[in-house]
Amino acid sequence: MLIQQLVNGLTLGAVYTLLALSYSLVMGILGILNLAIAELFMIGGFIGFTLISAGFPLPIAVLGGMLGAASIAIIVEKIGYQPLRDAPLVTPMLSTLGFSIILQNIATNIWGSDPLQLPIFGEQFEIGPIRIGEMQLLVLGATVVLVALTAYIVQKTPMGRALRAVAENRDVARILGVSADRLMMMAFILSGALAGVAGVLIALHYGAITPYLGVEIGLKAIAVMVIGGTTRIWGALVAGPLIGIAEVLTVAYGGSQIRDFVVYGFMILILLLRPQGLLGGARSDQGQRV
Amino acid sequence: MSRIKSNLPNVLGASRVLGTVAAVTLSALVAGHANAQTREINLGAIVPSSGPFAEWGRSNTVTLKMLEKQTNDAGGINGAKLKITILDDAAKPAQSATSMRKLASDEKVLAVAGPLTSSAAEVTFPVANELKLVSTSQASSKPGTAKQNRPWAFRNTIDESVLAKTAVPYFKKSFNIKTVAVIFDAKDATAATVGKVIMPSVLKANEIAVANENDLLSFNTGDLDVSAQVTKLKSLNPDGIVISADYSQAITVLREMKRQGLIKPVVGASQLISSAILKAAPEIPVIAPATFYSTMKGEAPEKFTAALTPLLRKESGLPKDIEPNMFDANIYEIVSMYIDAIKTAGVTGKPEDLEADRTKIRDYMAKLEGFKGLGGPIGFNDDGDAIKAFYVLQGQGGNWDTKVKGCSSAPNHPAC
Repeated sequence: MLIQQLVNGLTLGAVYTLLALSYSLVMGILGILNLAIAELFMIGGFIGFTLISAGFPLPIAVLGGMLGAASIAIIVEKIGYQPLRDAPLVTPMLSTLGFSIILQNIATNIWGSDPLQLPIFGEQFEIGPIRIGEMQLLVLGATVVLVALTAYIVQKTPMGRALRAVAENRDVARILGVSADRLMMMAFILSGALAGVAGVLIALHYGAITPYLGVEIGLKAIAVMVIGGTTRIWGALVAGPLIGIAEVLTVAYGGSQIRDFVVYGFMILILLLRPQGLLGGARSDQGQRV
Repeated sequence: MSRIKSNLPNVLGASRVLGTVAAVTLSALVAGHANAQTREINLGAIVPSSGPFAEWGRSNTVTLKMLEKQTNDAGGINGAKLKITILDDAAKPAQSATSMRKLASDEKVLAVAGPLTSSAAEVTFPVANELKLVSTSQASSKPGTAKQNRPWAFRNTIDESVLAKTAVPYFKKSFNIKTVAVIFDAKDATAATVGKVIMPSVLKANEIAVANENDLLSFNTGDLDVSAQVTKLKSLNPDGIVISADYSQAITVLREMKRQGLIKPVVGASQLISSAILKAAPEIPVIAPATFYSTMKGEAPEKFTAALTPLLRKESGLPKDIEPNMFDANIYEIVSMYIDAIKTAGVTGKPEDLEADRTKIRDYMAKLEGFKGLGGPIGFNDDGDAIKAFYVLQGQGGNWDTKVKGCSSAPNHPAC
């Protein structure tokens, strides 16, 4: 049972990692917590789910979820962030919270509150005592690839360098000719696209989706981001599986009543002992290091 | 000339008086008729149209609107128009209690249908008692919820402990069950009571061992990942599984059971009854009790289902293939009882009689026996819970089939 529980924990951790990555991008560059990301994840999932139900292949569903979530991220940035970016940090954060609630209501009105179901996607394999599905393998593989790809974009490409410049000092970046407005928008689009992809993969893995999908997973992903280090993309790759496995083992051997106590207790402990997170650097004033 | 002159005004005056009298009489008649048509009888309802139970709340809303239209198309109630004010509590107890106060004071309703969940009823029923306003839940089935809130709280449902006493023996006999493992939704009041208290006790009484008796498995409303719990269920290797959760949460467990290859029969409370649950894992048999289901035979239930189904399927935000559920039937019956009370118990609906009218409805409900419900006669026991027939259903391959008929009272009661 322990090996199966570790596989369960790794898959759950991969889910958190994907979403934490999305939070990290905006947090690391703009220093704000975009609370609408959990709902971009949910909307992306619904779009992918709808496309799969309509008979489209998986790559089209993933692309649809990614584009749909990225498009909404543009609206969130234009209306919920851009006009408020010079306000205290809590203001745009509350504005994204408003978007989160609106998106949840829109989804409830379009798709209903009942879980939508699809047949379990892909084959299930028995490997000794372990049972693992194609979608689980896809979620695990996609997590590693997306984390690596995001890290590559941020660290190695001209756009990534510009993003880091904006993160370091927005005003100086502007003086040096970097279009901060365009890059801030780009950060939202990238994080929305990541959330959308994650939504499609997770919805298909569970074979079900509800408008409340993002609420619980979103909060855990924020905890993963904090534990991994809000400024470090690789932090999510370490913290996600750690939290996923801790959560699953707690449920299996301690009970679900203490599950959240363990996860959020660990987050508080990290905040107290190592505020920059497990992989974070020394400074963490606004998290400006991606 | 002068006489003529002097009489003319008199004649004119007389005809004016006659004309005025005629006009007043006519307008009084017209106004009286119009008054009868515009006079309203106000009833209230509290349903969760948003939040996790929104599907039930929305289908309840469609049901109530259908009943309102049917009643008014048939001439209203004693010549007055029926108006049902429906408030959304999002299944939140505090919001439900606030809705009850609003219905009592702002809308001045005569009685309230709802709230839906036991969690909301536990908080709202005391408010109904304080306000002296009848409140009848369409879904709450946690033991004792109405009993603790006499005399204004009622439930058109049957206590889950009564239902389990019939469902479990059928489950045991049909699937040769000797051991089970229990999993329940820890955040839902009814599910937690059924999972932790009712089922273990009824299982024990039926000599079925609970493999995880000292380690009952739970999850929280809204959890999508229950892989850890199902892996543990599988490791216990029981003959059957008890899932105590509302159907939308139970679906998550059933799907994970299927994914992990745990194909074992499932038993649960009335919360499992839904057409959606049958699609989650059609190969897993699900046993649950219900007082109504959409394929129920009989003139009244068939007529109800035929009228409501197309309306539900037209409603946005509801599944395209939705069917009327047990709670739609229950709320339809509740408001029908109120209408019957208003018609027969001398309820005037006048503002000055509000308090007396509310008391008359309460007394009608308390003494009710043999009300023609969709599934048979309905009455209420001293605890405020419905006495009515119920059925143990088996869901498999996409359909619910009736296996056993039971009754919430002694077998010789009219409802049985």
